[in-house]
Amino acid sequence: MKIKKSKHALLSVSALALMGTMLTPAASWATDGETLIQEKCLLCHTNTGNPEAPYSRISQQRKTPEGWHMTLNRMQRMNGLVISSDEVQAVIKYLSDTQGLAPSETAPFRYVLEQKPNVVEEVDPAYVEMCARCHSNARFGLQRRTLGEWQLHVNTHMAINPTTELHALARDRDWYDIAYNDVVPKLAVDYAFNDPAWNQWQAKVKPSLNGSWSVAGFMPGKGDYSAVLQTKETSKDNFSVSMKGHYADGTPLQGEGSAKVFAGYEWRASLTIDGIKMRQVMAAAEDGSSLSGRMYQSAHDEIGGELTAVHGSAVVALSPSAIKQGQQKEITIIGADLKGSVSLGNGVQVVKVLSRDADRVVVLAKATGSASVGMRNVSVGKAKAKAQLAVYDEVAAVQVLPNESIARIGGNGGNIAKMQSTYRALAFSAGKDGQPGTADDLRLGYMQALWSLQAFDEAAEHEKDLKYAGSIDGNGVFTPGDAGLNPERKFSTNNVGNLKVIAQVLDGDKAVEGDAHLLVTVPVFVKRAIQ
Amino acid sequence: MKHLKSFNKKAKMLDQTTSPDEVEEVVAMQSVVGCTSTNDPGWEVDPFGGLGSLCQPMESDLYGCADACWWPAQVPDTMSSQPNWSMDVSKANEDWRKLEGIFPEEQK
Repeated sequence: MKIKKSKHALLSVSALALMGTMLTPAASWATDGETLIQEKCLLCHTNTGNPEAPYSRISQQRKTPEGWHMTLNRMQRMNGLVISSDEVQAVIKYLSDTQGLAPSETAPFRYVLEQKPNVVEEVDPAYVEMCARCHSNARFGLQRRTLGEWQLHVNTHMAINPTTELHALARDRDWYDIAYNDVVPKLAVDYAFNDPAWNQWQAKVKPSLNGSWSVAGFMPGKGDYSAVLQTKETSKDNFSVSMKGHYADGTPLQGEGSAKVFAGYEWRASLTIDGIKMRQVMAAAEDGSSLSGRMYQSAHDEIGGELTAVHGSAVVALSPSAIKQGQQKEITIIGADLKGSVSLGNGVQVVKVLSRDADRVVVLAKATGSASVGMRNVSVGKAKAKAQLAVYDEVAAVQVLPNESIARIGGNGGNIAKMQSTYRALAFSAGKDGQPGTADDLRLGYMQALWSLQAFDEAAEHEKDLKYAGSIDGNGVFTPGDAGLNPERKFSTNNVGNLKVIAQVLDGDKAVEGDAHLLVTVPVFVKRAIQ
Repeated sequence: MKHLKSFNKKAKMLDQTTSPDEVEEVVAMQSVVGCTSTNDPGWEVDPFGGLGSLCQPMESDLYGCADACWWPAQVPDTMSSQPNWSMDVSKANEDWRKLEGIFPEEQK
């Protein structure tokens, strides 16, 4: 954990740390995870004598790489574990491979591993007031424990955070009794240690992730991009990677770095792209045909976007992904091995191929005035279509995503950076019934928009939130106000605010609006790999 | 409530937060990953889905949150996990720039 003032005040903790240093022999040789566990962890944990689950409190849990990292951080911070950064990585790798989660177990919670901001979770009512009051559902949903381990988990919370019982939604009930006797048995079923999914995944032959991948993605402030991702396995599960491509406006994109694969499918890469440190968190498809996830700035994880990488010949994405009846426009087809003629479907002609690269074809397309409204399969030679083009009559509705969002004040000479929020305008046409907001609406994809802000309600107007809370740029990137007390505001209130983000999509001479809620709020001083 | 009249601003807000639409708004905002829904009075968002009932400015009562381990997922709890976090900053409302964040090291 990164904290400058990390002196341990508790004598017991210091004593444990000292003991760890004294009893631990020079461990430079001990690079494999299992040896490190025996050497470092068994100073406190015990050998159970059961070869199936040899270590107390360790062998009864399964977690993601980020989950194991958090455990090791806590052991260092609170229990005196003395271990080097390289050794931590070795233990994470070993535990994630041998006591990890199967692809199907992480699938519902990928967003938290990808550090995707502004996700609204649907939480089981049994957990809403017990666990999800402080944590995301993903935090506990990405752990698998035995019943006994879930019980000890509650007790650990009581020991470390004893005021949990005194919070709102806890002090009005017998919180501990509910947690231990009602919630723990449910956790042990919903997030069971002995889920067959993990054994089945472990038994499978894992696909090779070596080679050339065609990537389509989005980056706030930059737009859609296409690239070729080259991966080369330098040692087992370790890769050198390079990425080269273009943003939709033709600006080049280039970078390189390294990647590691955990549990046979969890792709974690660190790259420097055009001078900015980036992180890729992706999951490989079980057959190894694709990787999908999110790439974000390492220093500002809210600035990022989804990306998909596919092996072999394929059309991965279109930018833009819709054309209006009678309209002529440039369309970029993103994919791999895009050789041969381009087909955009009935009623949409390729007027001219403007440029061709390994990762993309840019065409000038024209939809006839009588082209029927609906989706078209797109192909380039034999490349399989994984993306479709929408032909539409008019934009009927605009949805601003994310619809519920937060940004956090920061900067202004302090140590906590501003946390921005970013938006996209998703357009729809009304479909056959002529009514937007119904099941037959046609999804047109993301469109360029004019961005603006409004006070969310009367209270926000009264407090002049719009003046203080921040501003939005032409790319839909909101930058919050400065941290600290603001003497201009009543009670020197921070530059917080309750705002509405407005997107205006122009469709001919008509403008269609959508909006989203933005709460500009205070910083967080604690951030975990899994929030 | 019919015999009681809202007296101050907070009481009026309580009265106003009764329509189903507003309740839905509150639920949605509290469920954004990373925000706490321990709303007494709330860290990022108040019980009404806004900011009006939060302690403001936040720095004036920051240690009331940290020392009591009130939002340990958002504010370092000086009770157990981070006993020295605020040791060198006696007045957060004056020296808030010196406070550090506790953020994860990037995994390699």
